[in-house]
Amino acid sequence: MLNISKLSKTFSPNSQFERHVLNGLDLELKDGEFVTIIGSNGAGKSTLFNAICGSILPDSGAITLNGRDITLMPEHKRAKFIGRVFQDPMKGTAPSMTIEENLALAYSRSRKGILSTAITRKDREFFKASLAEYGMGLEDRLTTKLSLLSGGQRQVVTLLMCTIVTPELLLLDEHTAALDPAAAEKIMEITNSIVSKNHLSALMITHNIKSALSTGDRTIMLDAGKIIIDLSGEERAKMTVDQLLHLYSEKKKLELDEDSILFS
Amino acid sequence: MQLYITALQEGLLYGLLAVGIFISLRMLNIPDLTTESSFGFGAAAAAVTAAAGHPILSLPVALVAGALAGFVTGLLQTKLRVHPVLAGIITMSGLYSINLIVMHNTPNLPLGDNAIFKLLYACFELSAIQKKILGAVVSAVFCVIMLIILIRFFKTQLGLCIRATGDNPEMVRASSINVHAVKITGLCISNALVALSGALIAHYSGYSDIHSSNGTLVYGLAAVIIGEAIFGRRGVTLGLISSVLGSIIYKIIVTFVVQMNLFGDYSATLMKLMCAVIVAITLSIPAIREKRQNRYNGKERGENA
Repeated sequence: MLNISKLSKTFSPNSQFERHVLNGLDLELKDGEFVTIIGSNGAGKSTLFNAICGSILPDSGAITLNGRDITLMPEHKRAKFIGRVFQDPMKGTAPSMTIEENLALAYSRSRKGILSTAITRKDREFFKASLAEYGMGLEDRLTTKLSLLSGGQRQVVTLLMCTIVTPELLLLDEHTAALDPAAAEKIMEITNSIVSKNHLSALMITHNIKSALSTGDRTIMLDAGKIIIDLSGEERAKMTVDQLLHLYSEKKKLELDEDSILFS
Repeated sequence: MQLYITALQEGLLYGLLAVGIFISLRMLNIPDLTTESSFGFGAAAAAVTAAAGHPILSLPVALVAGALAGFVTGLLQTKLRVHPVLAGIITMSGLYSINLIVMHNTPNLPLGDNAIFKLLYACFELSAIQKKILGAVVSAVFCVIMLIILIRFFKTQLGLCIRATGDNPEMVRASSINVHAVKITGLCISNALVALSGALIAHYSGYSDIHSSNGTLVYGLAAVIIGEAIFGRRGVTLGLISSVLGSIIYKIIVTFVVQMNLFGDYSATLMKLMCAVIVAITLSIPAIREKRQNRYNGKERGENA
């Protein structure tokens, strides 16, 4: 499935602002695995996503997706098999276009010629049925402009756009963080159902440790551009938020000790 | 009356210019200054082709010429990352020389008997007013056909991509669409229409002039804005149609001003200034409105306190 090996990225190299954001990161994702990612600010979570999507290119290392090396592939090409939902609900949709036009943009790209009609009656029926599943009342508002929708509704449309043609990998970049608690819960619910229904492989960044442990089937913690904690199975099921934080501070201490030995 | 029929015909022919500007300005969200010379480029290319004895062929030639101009601007502002406004200015000033070269180094090239409208009138025996009516009808039919093609086009997959690119390029990239290619295509289409408009005006007036493209951008803006002021900003289909209607209305207003001699001897001279003032006022309305809405109303508060 997804295989990341020795991925490194340094921002502003050879200057006083030099920062190693990714530090030889290794990650392997099994088919259909739903992994949640936590880590403090600057740990490299978003940079990892950017490298997978191609918005930045890594300095070294390799990313392969289903046997295909995508490390240096242009962003719009790999977008064919990677779906990404951003934190900002404005980012994933075109505000002055209608719901059906947005969906059509995501849906038809892989199946039609560029000069064929974008929305046929059949497409419209399909969009309606897909939206109806989420019970947000969006199925009756196909011709409403996106700019008139709430943040939560926009994220639903974005989620559907990302998964309407089943992607090989779904990236969720704190996609509920900008929403109110009720909407966030609803979107998480929808996310879970989409992921399990389509048997998607997904990575989700979150700042909410509790939901990181309860969602999906594996949790990793990033720190200074590396994975320092990797939990799955029973170990993860038993883990509480406090224990995880405790584990984190112990790991950090250990690392500091190693460093102090190194530099002494 | 005759004057207004002429205004109608001119409004229709310039309407395609307005549509081109609507595409670059409203859909792609780029103030494209290329129009300031692609209009003349279309006119020059058409005049040369027509003068060589191919009046009908001159229209597709103009389309290609305009698309080329748009392509250069598009290339500059996407792949070479030149600021969009500067990219337009660069193409514009470069094209000035090219237009002169195309027109065999003369600032004014007559089409002679090969102007489409002249050929059309020659087919029938018509009085002066009948000629004007026929010209207006033919122009209207041509405009409607172009509009239908465009409206259909912007409902296709590529059409949606162009619209989304102006709206949210990041999302378009995330939908596995090449943003640069789409932007360039959009600019090609926009400038092709502008050049076609220039070609038709050359056929209409019987000559191509090197200065014919002066002020085209502001004219197009005025037409788009008048259209929006009257018919509202509701969707692409309506936007395309209202740009043409805005152009017609603008021409009629101008005719009215000149005919009534509202500004005395300066009526015709003041046209460009009027155009600029209309555009400036309309563009600043949102800011003025916002300011008025945000004004702190001390009086009401005093009553409540």
